[in-house]
Amino acid sequence: MEQEETIPKTQTSEPVRRRTSWFATLRILYLRELKVYLGTPFGWVIIACAMALLGFCLQTVIQIMSKATGEGVMYYLLNNINFWFFFIFIFPLITMRSLAEEERQGTLEGLLTAPVTTTQIILGKYLAAYTFYLIIWVPLLLYPWMGQLANLYTEYRYGITASGEIPYLLADWFGPYAILSLMGAFFIAVGLLCSAMTRSQIISGILCTSFMISFYFTGRVTELWGEFPAAPVFHYISCTEQVSSFSRGLLDTRPAVLYLTLALFTLALVKRVVDYRRWTR
Amino acid sequence: MSMVSTEHLYKAFGRFMAVRDVNFNVEKGEIVGFLGPNGAGKTTTMKMLTGYLPPTAGTASIAGHDILDEPLEARRHLGYMPENVPLYDEMRVYEYLAYRAKLKGLYGKSVRAEVGRIIDRCGLETKRKNMIRTLSKGYRQRVGLADALLGTPELLILDEPTNGLDPNQIRQIRELIRELASEHTVLLSTHILSEVEMICNKVIIIDNGEIKAADTPARLTGSLRAAGRVSVEYKGELDVVMRELGAIPSVKKIIYEGTLPGGWQRLIVRAEPGTDTRERTAAIIARLGYPLRHIYRHIPSLEDVFVEMTRHD
Repeated sequence: MEQEETIPKTQTSEPVRRRTSWFATLRILYLRELKVYLGTPFGWVIIACAMALLGFCLQTVIQIMSKATGEGVMYYLLNNINFWFFFIFIFPLITMRSLAEEERQGTLEGLLTAPVTTTQIILGKYLAAYTFYLIIWVPLLLYPWMGQLANLYTEYRYGITASGEIPYLLADWFGPYAILSLMGAFFIAVGLLCSAMTRSQIISGILCTSFMISFYFTGRVTELWGEFPAAPVFHYISCTEQVSSFSRGLLDTRPAVLYLTLALFTLALVKRVVDYRRWTR
Repeated sequence: MSMVSTEHLYKAFGRFMAVRDVNFNVEKGEIVGFLGPNGAGKTTTMKMLTGYLPPTAGTASIAGHDILDEPLEARRHLGYMPENVPLYDEMRVYEYLAYRAKLKGLYGKSVRAEVGRIIDRCGLETKRKNMIRTLSKGYRQRVGLADALLGTPELLILDEPTNGLDPNQIRQIRELIRELASEHTVLLSTHILSEVEMICNKVIIIDNGEIKAADTPARLTGSLRAAGRVSVEYKGELDVVMRELGAIPSVKKIIYEGTLPGGWQRLIVRAEPGTDTRERTAAIIARLGYPLRHIYRHIPSLEDVFVEMTRHD
């Protein structure tokens, strides 16, 4: 470095300290992405809409629960066509802008010419989108709690114990969260892949939505065709069946393996796509 | 060690060869102007140097680090300001620069110190809390330049830094670049040739993806065909003057440009580059006793060099 004492104002007094840790860089990228979700109206609009729609679902759940018994609030909430109707649109909304917008604005160029690897950029975006996805479900924690309050009131007012035992309550809460996190891990990665393939948010959103809809209906093939030799495959990837068993409190490792491996595979694909688009441009 | 050195750099987009066999060196401390018509391959070459576009063949090194083998190390040594300055519109100026500084590996107190220094230097004090979306073109350009300057990289690659600015802003940015030369090596592309003449000490002219010339502006203009050209206006016979002038050894060709109102003859005397035939021309016309009202030796500008090198007709 050249030492020039003549213009002290414009010279750094000491050499600039630099850190080149891989995770430190990832953390910086992650925090900025998270700030895009939580620091702009964009993220809050998604959370608000998701909450409003969940409230709508809850209304139907109350109707169902006045007749049926045996399962918790979360079971009826998630095994409800109203829920799936908006659930599959959450992913394109969260991810459609992440890489597409970066490319359209040209800021991807700025990122990739900084000392940052493609993997770090993608992981930063993925983890931020995933964190945001998990944040969407935080208000859902209120539902079992409110249910519990209602139970306590019933017990006090009518002397009937309406609530279950603690372990069952925990399962009622933990199961749905586990499956939502697992599905999210994969679906967010798919959204990121769609976003990496185009510079248009709209196209990215359409691609992701089509994937979500086809994945949802692939899981329901057996309901239309009945059982046939290849049916176990469809049962295996059926998200409605998984949600149904998890929200009953039946935890299963198979969906965990399915979604985590698919998520990793998709993220590897995202990296290939981003690099490929750079090579051929 | 060269700050930038490229070895047989090629870039193809499908069948279209955007850059072919580009070789040049930029030494430490130089300000190099990268010139060429639109679509000549300037931006592509710069993008390859920054590691954004991978070359189809060949390679380059930044401060001794190969862009393909050690991409991160090469990028740590350069600050890049892309054409049209892409920025995150929803961030504030200070926030954006701090984020970029951290990405470039700065941490702790040095982030604040460095961003403060750069904000001062680029004249962004009044805008530090503004949203980037609300900035005018000139200020956006400065934020882009500030970004490139963060961490005092040894090499600055500026793609059309004065693109779309008004004359005053162009002057300010130019002054800034000139000041930067003491600390950085600068490679900049531009269309404004007078700018290059003013600030660059080396010029690389590229056309159709190939380097046409790489030299100092003075030597480029000196070697030009137009360099020894003298224009003359006198009143008198044409043939005898043409014959006499043609006898001067360095003169290559005399062109009669027509007779102006009042009987003034206009001639262009083409001589070898670097020679001055004004004195002898004047002496000949004086000896013949003809009145002489105009004699002028053409001083070629970089514009002439540019036009000559990149003309396709």
